[in-house]
Amino acid sequence: MPNVVEVEGLEAYYRTPAGDDIKAVDGVSLAVREGEVLGIAGESGCGKTTLAQVLGLTVQKPLYVRSGKVLLEGRNALALDRETMRREVRGKTISTVPQGAMNSLNPTLRVRNLVIDVMRDHNPRIRRREAVERARERLDLLGLPPRVLEAYPHQLSGGMKQRVITVVSTLLDPVLLIVDEPTSALDVTSQKVAIKLLVDLLAKRIIRSIVFITHELPLLRHVADRIAIMYAGRLVEVGAMEDIVFRPQHPYAEGLVGSVLVPEPGMKERTVTGIPGRPPDMRRPPAGCRFAPRCPKRFDLCDRDPRPFGIDGREVWCWLHRDQPNAERP
Amino acid sequence: MLRVFRNRPYLLYLTRKAFWYLVAFVAAVALNFFLPRLIPGNPVSVIVGQMSAGAVESATLERLYTAFMRDFGLDQPLHVQFWTYLTGVLQGDLGTSFMLYPSKVWDVIRQALPWTVALQVPAILVGWIVGNVLGALAAYKGGTFDRFAFTGSLMLSSIPYFCLAIIFVYAFAVHWPLFPASGGYSFGYFPEWSWAFFVDALYHYALPFLSLVLVAIGGQAIGMREMAIYELNTDYVNYAKKLGVSDRRVVRYVFRNAMLPQITGLAISFGTLIGGALVTEAVFSYPGLGSLLFTAIRQVDYPMIQGITLIITLTVLLANFLVDIAYGFIDPRIRAGQVGER
Repeated sequence: MPNVVEVEGLEAYYRTPAGDDIKAVDGVSLAVREGEVLGIAGESGCGKTTLAQVLGLTVQKPLYVRSGKVLLEGRNALALDRETMRREVRGKTISTVPQGAMNSLNPTLRVRNLVIDVMRDHNPRIRRREAVERARERLDLLGLPPRVLEAYPHQLSGGMKQRVITVVSTLLDPVLLIVDEPTSALDVTSQKVAIKLLVDLLAKRIIRSIVFITHELPLLRHVADRIAIMYAGRLVEVGAMEDIVFRPQHPYAEGLVGSVLVPEPGMKERTVTGIPGRPPDMRRPPAGCRFAPRCPKRFDLCDRDPRPFGIDGREVWCWLHRDQPNAERP
Repeated sequence: MLRVFRNRPYLLYLTRKAFWYLVAFVAAVALNFFLPRLIPGNPVSVIVGQMSAGAVESATLERLYTAFMRDFGLDQPLHVQFWTYLTGVLQGDLGTSFMLYPSKVWDVIRQALPWTVALQVPAILVGWIVGNVLGALAAYKGGTFDRFAFTGSLMLSSIPYFCLAIIFVYAFAVHWPLFPASGGYSFGYFPEWSWAFFVDALYHYALPFLSLVLVAIGGQAIGMREMAIYELNTDYVNYAKKLGVSDRRVVRYVFRNAMLPQITGLAISFGTLIGGALVTEAVFSYPGLGSLLFTAIRQVDYPMIQGITLIITLTVLLANFLVDIAYGFIDPRIRAGQVGER
């Protein structure tokens, strides 16, 4: 399958007022494939939201990209000028469903006017009526009531707001949709509906791929085709959903999977284990493997930066697998 | 609920509001009557005292005193006086001034009111508009512009406006006599609709206007900056950027939403229109209501004080009522709250 978007050697840092760099994303290379849902998981502060921000081309101070590329059809989108980036890419080629959907709609703007603004800011020639018409058709196609167009945000329920945002984000048929913790503020029923909408968008080929960012692994089991696990600004393991969830190879991935309860047969017998210790200070991350200080399986090689090793189609950044061949990088 | 209000939640809301404003008005009218009477000193003694400069016989003074007491109705018990005042107010009669006897209070106020309005309304409006634009720009641009605008605004708004007025008088009227130090127009002129008078009035207008407007700009700019910074960091702004909405439009969202509380600020400024100008007018001996109130208090002129404070009360209440109504039209969330929609 061809890649839709590729990230190459990305280093995205936050500059503190004291002049330190917080290395939130520190050397990440990743490809998003046509038609897939790529889940990115990891604990708070591992850099997944920062990665989403760079992918969504909404980098703003104090975050800056130190090096690396975001390749869209072979072109580095990060090198585009501000205006082209806004008009041609943001919201149009790569779009985002933001974290915190509850407050993401302007409280004094009717949904229809947001729709008009979004459409016209990418194509000034489109008429207001056409824009609203397009949104109405889209809502209809996805089984949502077109009357939400006339509503103000406070007139919508939480779940409805989330769905409206998803629809507005995908109005321009983006190639990639980034969803960042889309369900964290929703009850379980609304979560299910929200996820179904995303899957529906992909099935109807309105969008061509999804990057799904979350700290909830169980959620990814239902939607993701592949999963990338991040720790302290780096990838530790990337592979097919079943492989990661049921047969994790990296000790951190193992720990992460082991620390959640999944309601399934045999759950009672399982014990939930946490990962001792805590994530490193990202101003001065440890040399070598970043998980080593907390790793139960660490040994002398862990002082050196791990290479990605390939284990039947997945990549694992861990010296334990040094007898495996080097992974084929995207 | 009454049938009239069924399916008319907004009418119900308005009626309810109007009722509370009426209650506030009645309370204020009572205070207007009783508070001036707590000022130490007897108004008639003041007047008679001024008359006795020519060493009149004490029996004559005694007679004068009783005559004035009777004319002013001050020999009546307090509740009778209150009743007279109340019925007068309801008929639009503010009574007769003590200090300018026998002028009617309303006639005196009518002459002073245009000066105050002409001084304050432009000062408030200009201060509000310039202050808001400055505050929004400071929030949006940040950096050096923000630092200068913010520090400047902070400095201006923390100077009491009468202090600035005194500094202006000293600097631009006394030390460098560029502008007149006092009055609304020069001696020898008489208020009329002529070009020469207009120019002269404008010349006297400059300093009091400037002293009011600068302080207003400072205060509004700080408020607006605060609001705009808050709005700039909201989720909806970030989301709009993620959707590729243009900066121009995002700024418009932010500006509009940050404006909403500022509108209340404008109404409050209009409400304090007369009280706010009091000291400024006194410093510049400007012939407006502020100066008039100032003199009336010194002369213990009950009807005049009551008349002016009544007008102040009315402007405050009216301004707030109008904002209550206007707000519902501007902010959909408030409208929802007003009509009890979820």
